[in-house]
Amino acid sequence: MFKHMYLGVAVLLACAMVSMSGCRRPPKKGTAGSGLPPGGSEADIGIYGSDLGAGALAERAVGEKIEPGIAFENVLFGYDQATLDPAERAKVDAVAEYLNANGKVGVLVSGHCDERGSSEYNMALGERRALAVRAYIVQLGIDGARVQTVSYGEELPLDQGHGEEAWSLNRRAQFEFFQQ
Amino acid sequence: MKYIPASLTCLFLAAAFLAHDAWAQVSVRKRPNPGEISPLDISGFTAGADPAAALFRKTLEEDLLRSGWFAIIRSGRGEYAVTGSAEAGGADVKARCEVFDVSTRERLLGKAYSLRAVDARRLAHKVADEIVLAITGKPGIASSQIALVGAQAGKKELYLCDSDGANLRQITRDNTLNMSPKFGPGGKTLVYTTFFSRFPDVCLYDLASGRRTIVASYPGLNACGAISPSGRELALTLSKDGNPDIFIMDMASKRLTRLTDTRKYAEASPAWSPDGRRIAFVSDRGGSPQLYVMDRAGGGAERISSLGSENVDPDWGVNGYVACSTKLGGRYQISVINPETKEVSQITNDELDYEDPSWAPDGRHLVCTVRRNYRSSLFIIDMMTGVKVALLSDKQGGDWSMGDWSPE
Repeated sequence: MFKHMYLGVAVLLACAMVSMSGCRRPPKKGTAGSGLPPGGSEADIGIYGSDLGAGALAERAVGEKIEPGIAFENVLFGYDQATLDPAERAKVDAVAEYLNANGKVGVLVSGHCDERGSSEYNMALGERRALAVRAYIVQLGIDGARVQTVSYGEELPLDQGHGEEAWSLNRRAQFEFFQQ
Repeated sequence: MKYIPASLTCLFLAAAFLAHDAWAQVSVRKRPNPGEISPLDISGFTAGADPAAALFRKTLEEDLLRSGWFAIIRSGRGEYAVTGSAEAGGADVKARCEVFDVSTRERLLGKAYSLRAVDARRLAHKVADEIVLAITGKPGIASSQIALVGAQAGKKELYLCDSDGANLRQITRDNTLNMSPKFGPGGKTLVYTTFFSRFPDVCLYDLASGRRTIVASYPGLNACGAISPSGRELALTLSKDGNPDIFIMDMASKRLTRLTDTRKYAEASPAWSPDGRRIAFVSDRGGSPQLYVMDRAGGGAERISSLGSENVDPDWGVNGYVACSTKLGGRYQISVINPETKEVSQITNDELDYEDPSWAPDGRHLVCTVRRNYRSSLFIIDMMTGVKVALLSDKQGGDWSMGDWSPE
């Protein structure tokens, strides 16, 4: 029940964002797998403090970079959180949909943090953000070997500013696509 | 630098706290009382007029002052006296040095030294360390090195400098992100995280030969490398199994042993205890990043941090204390934790951010990153006097962080 409510909220938010940005269509439900696996719950999807559960990582393999021609949005995170916010999931749905339609394409998910705190801990936190996104993509039915992760910690801020506005944009997972 | 009285109080409390525990454990032949500075008479030490001898003399005096143990005097009665000379002899600089306890006339040190004139500074550092050892029973810091990271245009490269900030030199030119340098035992190697392959890998840098070897490049995150005091093992964070956890790698066989298995949380920044039996590290298993200590064999992790809202970047000193940065009221401050009793002492307390401390081999000083107006620089803090000095001069510019003090 909750699952559907969240999906509804996610789709609504996605629609709202799309209408604001006007750059892409909302993801079609079911095109990239059936969402949650049998027995899965909201708590299983990369929520902070839960098992990311997408298993061991595949060998590093990043082929030639691909420009998908679609502007995929960055997934944003709360302070010190690696939770994949339900409101952010539609962004990942769109990536899974693209991967589903393009079988020879892989994605590199980079995890990032704001500038505050330990650089070393932020490397681990950024990786958990990337892994939370990866876990969700895998749960949407994409082979984990097609989803690589990299953490840049606090090293590559998108916004060079120093206030909450900049920080909220910098706590992110970002997508890059490559030929498999 | 000016100090806020409250912070000074804290520092002196910290000094007393250190003095009554760890300092007492070390067998010390002679040493000043904690926080007390002994007058050291160097009027009996002469130097020739040539540049090498003059440089030797100047460096020696600065090193003795920087050790924190002494007030340098040239007249009046010192508690200790240094006599001797520095002179040029051909291509070499030769020094002779004796140290006396003035009241007992006991000779604590008597040695002759010689080195190439171009190494006059290095020789002075060596002599300064021997004087400190002879009087206090503790290792000096003059000959030690500090590894650091310099940032420019979104790239980070590794540098080394002497503990007085001199002799700053860039040791990587990879046009990438090179971070978190940590010395191995003896200061002969560094491990660090590099994005040279576009993914974070852990690299071992042999400083004598300049040879570099990637030692960990598993899928996902490879970071936070720290070599054990024995030199045989590497603690590090890997996410290859799906989540960042701490592992130990046997450096000869490359065999990995998993130390933490928290599928739900992140672990980072392993720091070895001086005896190599335990590891302090950061984990967010309690809802925020905090410090824990576990046995080298893994398991049984116990939380040691209690101050503020988060505690990160642990460094376990030879004095037995774990220094870290503690988030207090939105700012990061340096604090020191006794891992046995979990007692904590806040060291800095002002409107700047102090992060990523690293103990000096004397267990008295530490180097840390100070952030001011979103620019970083490195400062050395004398834990017994509270004196803070910039490692590098402003003239050297730059954006410096992640200082690691060599173990000797």
